[in-house]
Amino acid sequence: MTVLCVDPDPDERAATVAALEAAGLPVRAVDSVSAARDALDGDGNGDVVDCLVTEHDHPDGTGLDLIAHARETAPDIACVLYTDRDPAAIDTVTLGDTVAEYLQKGEGSHDRLVELVEFSVATRSQTAYPLPDDEDARLAALDRFVADPDELDATFARLTEIAAATFDIDAAAVGLVDAHHERFLGCYGIDVDRMDREDTVCTYAILEEGVTVVEDLHEDPRFADNEAIDGVDIRFYAGVPVTAPDGSKIASFCLYDFAPRSLSTDDRALLELFAAEAGDQLALRGRLREQETPAVDGRDRNDGDPTEGEG
Amino acid sequence: MTEDYTFRGLPMASVLPGTTLLVSGPSHAGTREVAYSMLAGAEDEGVVVVTTNRRASRVARNFEAASMRLDPARSAIVSCVGQDDRDADVDARLAEVTGPGDLTGIGMRYSKLVEELHRDGVERVRTSVVSVSTLLSFSDVQTVSRFVHTLVGRVGSIDGLGVLLIDPDAVDERVLSNVAQFCDARVDVRERDDAPEMRVRGLPGQSREWTAVELYG
Repeated sequence: MTVLCVDPDPDERAATVAALEAAGLPVRAVDSVSAARDALDGDGNGDVVDCLVTEHDHPDGTGLDLIAHARETAPDIACVLYTDRDPAAIDTVTLGDTVAEYLQKGEGSHDRLVELVEFSVATRSQTAYPLPDDEDARLAALDRFVADPDELDATFARLTEIAAATFDIDAAAVGLVDAHHERFLGCYGIDVDRMDREDTVCTYAILEEGVTVVEDLHEDPRFADNEAIDGVDIRFYAGVPVTAPDGSKIASFCLYDFAPRSLSTDDRALLELFAAEAGDQLALRGRLREQETPAVDGRDRNDGDPTEGEG
Repeated sequence: MTEDYTFRGLPMASVLPGTTLLVSGPSHAGTREVAYSMLAGAEDEGVVVVTTNRRASRVARNFEAASMRLDPARSAIVSCVGQDDRDADVDARLAEVTGPGDLTGIGMRYSKLVEELHRDGVERVRTSVVSVSTLLSFSDVQTVSRFVHTLVGRVGSIDGLGVLLIDPDAVDERVLSNVAQFCDARVDVRERDDAPEMRVRGLPGQSREWTAVELYG
């Protein structure tokens, strides 16, 4: 977790960094829009940026331009325009779809900034999609059961090929929904590695119980203008959440077609079986790995003796 | 700890600080009036209204109709009607945005007004957007979603109350359901025998049954 702090004024930058660090937040500070863009694009000099705090006026661009760039490369991150400038003196019209938090510098504003950054990062309040209620547990389950996605790829490839034949459909895949991206495994009939989470239908499918069907993505206002979906040419989507043993929905078993179509009630029930099978594969592999790897805390993972005292 | 937000004259129980409600109902059913009634709080509470398509003077009349008094010490309006609203004569702090498509500008002005109210000692703030349907007709679903999520987050972080208005007749059902997922609960409004009825869904301790509303009684 890193807060990227961008301010051309050395004194103000130092003061903002000091306030954030005093609150225990890891900060990386840069003095220009171009250096910040490099950091956001992953220049290898630090962790992934979770929050961007930027002044508006820079010699090489504006803070709002920088936030617009962040929305392209890492759309989920929390962005705060922390500036001397009044909103009325900032041209927002051309970047009206950027959306960011705003805080004016002044007396006591460092404390408010810390609160705003901590809250925005903890709740991920600037994503363009709703988060599942159990998001933290869900991500933990994803880490635990999908330690090695490549290992699952071949397994899922068999399942998706069988699914495509069963439903007489163009393509199928299993999409793992992680914090900011969806990674596609076992792709059959479609070649896509990963997409931003805000652009995928599975992001919405894992919020639902059972089957999500979008008969024509061009007709659904949530996805009609989605360039990422257009880029893979799909028109039809059907997906069922793949659940980890703790019940969290960590992935989706998906069917795609390059033309609009429907899915019968029987086929929907069958698709749920495919998702259940994928979930079982995840669970079995997770258990196998845990048996092969000694528990790090020195205790047996299966040790659930309630009579054993703490420590 | 801040006290719950209570609703004067409405058939609903109080809600926890930080709650945002999506008020959904057709425009002719008194939905807007119900939403404004939800903004009526104690004398020391502040209120910020984002008006997407009605002038500030009209917002002021809505407040009057709901027996509320605007006061610059604790009331603010973000008007998206454009510069026509610049000289509006209302008893509230006023910020103008070029239009409802400038969600970045709306969010920044809202944040500034809320900070100012806090700085001036107004600790409890009710926030309203009238209406999300208009925002959806000017921007794509993804952008409006990010705006709503960020706003709901801000309401949560200041222990405020959020009241977002949406017209289900003007918005696709899937989009409405998506917007609702950012909110803590949904208040549905409908018309029966020329009078509004409402019900609350998604919050414990609230009546899920349709109940008649006596507006401004």
